[in-house]
Amino acid sequence: MNALRRTWPLLLGLCVAGTALAAEQQRFVTCPVYRDSDAGKKSGCWLADERDSGQRFDVSLAPTKPDWNRAILVEGMVASRQENVCGGVVLDPVRVSVLDMPCTRAMLPAETYPGRVFKLPARNVRPLLEPRQPPARPFRSRTFHLLFDFGSTFIVYQLDDYLLDGAISTIRAVEPRRVIVTGHAATTPARVSGVELVESEALARERAEHVGEALRRLGVPDARLEVRWSAGSDTVAAEGADGLSEPTRRRVDIEVIVDADPRTGAR
Amino acid sequence: MRRGRISGGWDAGCRGWARYALLCVLTLGSGWAPAVEPPAQGADRWWNPGAGRVFPTLADYANALGTLRVELAGAALDTRQHPFFEALGPNGRACVTCHQPADAMSLSAHSARARWDAVGASDPLFAAVDGSNCPSLPQQERAAHSLLLDYGLIRVERPWPPRDAAGRIIRPDFELEVVRDPWGCNSLPAYGPAAATPRVSVYRRPRPVANMKYLVAAGFEYDPKQGLPLPRDVETGVLVAGNLMADARAPTLFAQARDAALSHLEYTRELSPAQLQQIFDFEMRVYTAQQRDAVGGPLDAGGAEGGPRKLLTSEPGQLGSIGIPVWSEFAAWEKAAEDPSLSAEQRAYRLSVARGARLFRERTFLITDSAGINSPIGFGNPVRNSCVFCHNMTQMGNDVAPGQVDLGTTTRPFSDPAPHLPLFRLTCTGAPHPHYGRVIYSHDPGFALTTGRCADVGKITLQSMRGMTGRAPYFSNGSAADLRAVVDYYERRYNIGYTEQEKQDLVNLMGAL
Repeated sequence: MNALRRTWPLLLGLCVAGTALAAEQQRFVTCPVYRDSDAGKKSGCWLADERDSGQRFDVSLAPTKPDWNRAILVEGMVASRQENVCGGVVLDPVRVSVLDMPCTRAMLPAETYPGRVFKLPARNVRPLLEPRQPPARPFRSRTFHLLFDFGSTFIVYQLDDYLLDGAISTIRAVEPRRVIVTGHAATTPARVSGVELVESEALARERAEHVGEALRRLGVPDARLEVRWSAGSDTVAAEGADGLSEPTRRRVDIEVIVDADPRTGAR
Repeated sequence: MRRGRISGGWDAGCRGWARYALLCVLTLGSGWAPAVEPPAQGADRWWNPGAGRVFPTLADYANALGTLRVELAGAALDTRQHPFFEALGPNGRACVTCHQPADAMSLSAHSARARWDAVGASDPLFAAVDGSNCPSLPQQERAAHSLLLDYGLIRVERPWPPRDAAGRIIRPDFELEVVRDPWGCNSLPAYGPAAATPRVSVYRRPRPVANMKYLVAAGFEYDPKQGLPLPRDVETGVLVAGNLMADARAPTLFAQARDAALSHLEYTRELSPAQLQQIFDFEMRVYTAQQRDAVGGPLDAGGAEGGPRKLLTSEPGQLGSIGIPVWSEFAAWEKAAEDPSLSAEQRAYRLSVARGARLFRERTFLITDSAGINSPIGFGNPVRNSCVFCHNMTQMGNDVAPGQVDLGTTTRPFSDPAPHLPLFRLTCTGAPHPHYGRVIYSHDPGFALTTGRCADVGKITLQSMRGMTGRAPYFSNGSAADLRAVVDYYERRYNIGYTEQEKQDLVNLMGAL
């Protein structure tokens, strides 16, 4: 009965919003609400109310979780499979960026919502003791994309660190001729929920230098490393974006360039 | 069930010995007999520099809760001419002065008081350089050493502004002012950030030099708290695990030994490569943990795996959440109620420790406004988790990742008022601190004194959790007088809602480590 009570408003919300809600990429700024559900570690729910529609979304599956003292930028899509364990329409994939805008702390009790039992995300870096799978031969030049939260240079835990780990595993296996790191920032202003969002060109450089330092620490020699940055940014298809487009404007590209085999074009 | 633990540790020394006598009665009654020498006491308990003693492969030391064991891997060590045990500098100190075997290779405030009572100010432990509140004070008076005697604190002087590993000046993104300086070492002309050679004096507990393979182990190649891969030490090429020293200023045991020789021993020459290697080899061989509880009996009996032997033989760097759960050493005691051979007290104790281990892992609470946890890593603020969220390394309870976290123990408003400690006002000149804002008041900025970053103010490297009974008081500034005070701090800080029974279970667990 509780489950039905929990699910009914969600179904109603989805019907009211219509199918367009499911198809669109949601992008809005709001103050987060924490629901203190308790199904063990990391099981609290993060809710975000889109003010124009009045729709409440569950953004708990974002790699970066909100800070209840600050506004957040939400970018996501309505999940194809809805599980109303928090009290909002589930966004998945979803990305949250914590903004430098104060919010009043808001916490709801669990009420009838159980929250989610924590599951280790698929994108998690494995311990050093576990060997990495080398890339299949023949080796080809390849570009990896690391995606960043709005306004941030931080390598996102259980997203970017995983992607970076994949990049360095490839670099170590193929011993590339060159590794080119290019930073991008969302320098074209966009108005979202009445808030102008724009990143500086300097952020593109900071991101590039940050990832360059990460690669140096991982053993990429300076002689093979080139760090660049670029003003403006287009969207790209990136593994870490899971189909979301806007977050890909805030990225660093790691181009791993291998010498081609003169006969086959591969190594 | 409440065991009515003795608060204040060795301050209740006679009761401690009474409990040890009780242990003998209990253990002999249950057929258990100690396989090692009786607990060291009296003159043998304290290691003087240059004593030329043999460091045994196994030594037991009585404390108020039972017996601490120190194991040395390999053969016994002749300490003559050994740089860990010899007084290298002019003040008569050796490494062992502040890293005493009976105190789990740390130094308890109780031991400091015992030295003061036995020897007075002439003991090298009370060297003016850092064994007193400030060298400017009259050194023959107890009051000049009150921080060491009452809180087990050693003065640590950090350069201001900070320097990087190569000695280059780091331009901090915060300004530092002295608000309160009870002893003069942050405001007198020769000391403090306004001196000709600017420095900042903070006061910290010596950390245990034992079980070190766990503290230097890198389980993963990334530091999720900094959002970067771990650095490699320039000298050795090894990954820097980031779990040495309260402010992580020394990346390796070699660097730590150099830092300690220069500051604490006032040894102005360079330690030779051979000396450094000797110190390193010894530190990597020493293991310590509580071995017996005065009431509960041996901590490696009844299927439990307490004591240092398990530490010595296990692989370090394992994350409990994906491997062997933290403190599962005591899982077998969950069935202690079914063991008819136990006395009622032993049974109650074992069940309590087993409950404490589960509480440590499973009792979740809301962690809020703690840099290193709630920012910048993306766990969220708040995040619901348990003690094992940070104390996550199997067998050891330190952080597999570099453990710089701000629990608030040194920084207002979460710290105690601590009128005996200096207070600094830190004003962030760039981005404000993610939780404290632009202006922060701190007794010890911790990691920020190493990085120069406002966001790191108040972060202190997580402590290891073995051999705790031998080395009260706790937290980097000695603000928790005993294990109950540790639990009480967490209860206040995070409003956890532990019951009295749960608090006692956690105290008993920590006492068994």
